Amino acid sequence: MTITVVKPGLQTTVQSRPRTGLRHLGVPASGAADPLSLATANCLVSNDWDAPALEVTLLGPTLRFNTDRAFAVTGGNFALTLNGETLHPHETVRAKAGDTLAIGGSGQGARCYVAFAGGLSAAEVLGSSSTYLPGELGGIAGRVLEKGDELRLHADTPDVNELSTPAEFRLPMSSSWALRACDSFETNRLTVESRERLFDSNWTVGRRADRMGLQLQGARLDVSSDGHMPSAPVFPGTVQCPESGSPFVLSVDAGTVGGYPRVAQVSRADRHLLGQLQPGDHVRLLYREVDHAAVDLRAKLSYWRDWLPDIEQIV
Amino acid sequence: MGSRYVQLHCADDQLSMTAESPADAQALAAALRASGEWLDVVPGIDSVVVRFDAGAIDARDAQRRVTELLADGVPAIRDSQQLVEIPVVYGGTFGPDLVDVCTQLNLSTEDFIAMHTQRNYRVEMLGFTPGFAFVGGLDERLHVARRQQPRQRVAPGSIGIADAFTGLYTLSSPGGWTLVGRTPANLFRPRSEEPFVLQVGTRIRFVPIEVAEFDT
Repeated sequence: MTITVVKPGLQTTVQSRPRTGLRHLGVPASGAADPLSLATANCLVSNDWDAPALEVTLLGPTLRFNTDRAFAVTGGNFALTLNGETLHPHETVRAKAGDTLAIGGSGQGARCYVAFAGGLSAAEVLGSSSTYLPGELGGIAGRVLEKGDELRLHADTPDVNELSTPAEFRLPMSSSWALRACDSFETNRLTVESRERLFDSNWTVGRRADRMGLQLQGARLDVSSDGHMPSAPVFPGTVQCPESGSPFVLSVDAGTVGGYPRVAQVSRADRHLLGQLQPGDHVRLLYREVDHAAVDLRAKLSYWRDWLPDIEQIV
Repeated sequence: MGSRYVQLHCADDQLSMTAESPADAQALAAALRASGEWLDVVPGIDSVVVRFDAGAIDARDAQRRVTELLADGVPAIRDSQQLVEIPVVYGGTFGPDLVDVCTQLNLSTEDFIAMHTQRNYRVEMLGFTPGFAFVGGLDERLHVARRQQPRQRVAPGSIGIADAFTGLYTLSSPGGWTLVGRTPANLFRPRSEEPFVLQVGTRIRFVPIEVAEFDT
């Protein structure tokens, strides 16, 4: 029971849940860059939210089914066809052996997720089967998909009901984003004007935007730093600002400690959106007090619980 | 040991506290991790960050809980009695910054190698990428700043220096440390029972080898 990779796409990997509790050993989170979209895809094929699925980046793969299998696609707005016919995201689709799924380029959003009933078969390493490319861990030999790969599907498949994600649970895609964010531990190393600029200007996502992090282009920030800051813990969503004054925001594969001032922290409620920002997108950081950010998070968890009961584990 | 006052700063779902030393940070982190009630407990060189479940508890309650857990002090991390020898090829393509750093420090490369290999060190922290080791105890005469322009790719096994530390790169990654050598030792083995060869408290010594010995 396999799927053949006819064309691999730009950067297609197997992703599941993050690696947790190992950051003190240097093991980053990894896992889906947009876990909410991964969970939504798995929900449509009656899988657990974290069943191993494909994460597709900017330009998608072409896949041939060698077995009958239900699947679903969610996330960024990619051009989708099944045997040449337009295919809609957010719906359970029953593919037949011999069918070809072609995923083209993305309009808005950087990543989509393709979940298969029963999930892909991938070995767990350090607590997850998610691919961590820098360490060649998890997924398909720790690497991106290549032409000719045979992806193995789990033999056990759940009884799949045909579902469609309700409109209110289809994550809206955009090329202009707002991320709620709090001050971080070295925000006070910014001048007053620079802190205002950080939270009050339009940033453009730079060309270096990947699973490690995203460069933010725009205003230059004045940060007092001598290049000798002792390495300190960082997390997905941490915004760091080196002496050059150009901030960057860390994503799921980023290192666990860093030596640049931490000037903001994207709040947990919006961290999953980092997986959907593509180069050239506009982004604003919306300042939140810590208590306010917690209220936002609880509101979001409560909203999504109706469709994804495991939402606390997902975001 | 003994009671201590911890001042906590909050960033979204994270609490940071200062530590007196890398060893103190490791001890604080181990004590907090042992309680099993945090999403992550990560030590830095002079701080510890705890990530709490902001969906379930308020920052203020998390702060109170951290203070309670540390109120009676924390046991120190014990050093390993084992001494691990790390073979190193210094200089050349294996340590591309050695010549520059020796010029900066006004040392011959032979002096540098002699000074770097003559003492025992201690692993003070793991972090950055899986198994990357911050090794403390570098001779003060060898302290240099990070490179102004980090490299896009550093080879696995590379050995760099920055301030008071020698750093061991276990994976290919970007990196800003001054590279003085490389080891053929495989220090991160994800598929083995014990993936992390080096642990906090492990004592190590660097042993110079020739290029010809690198692949053997």
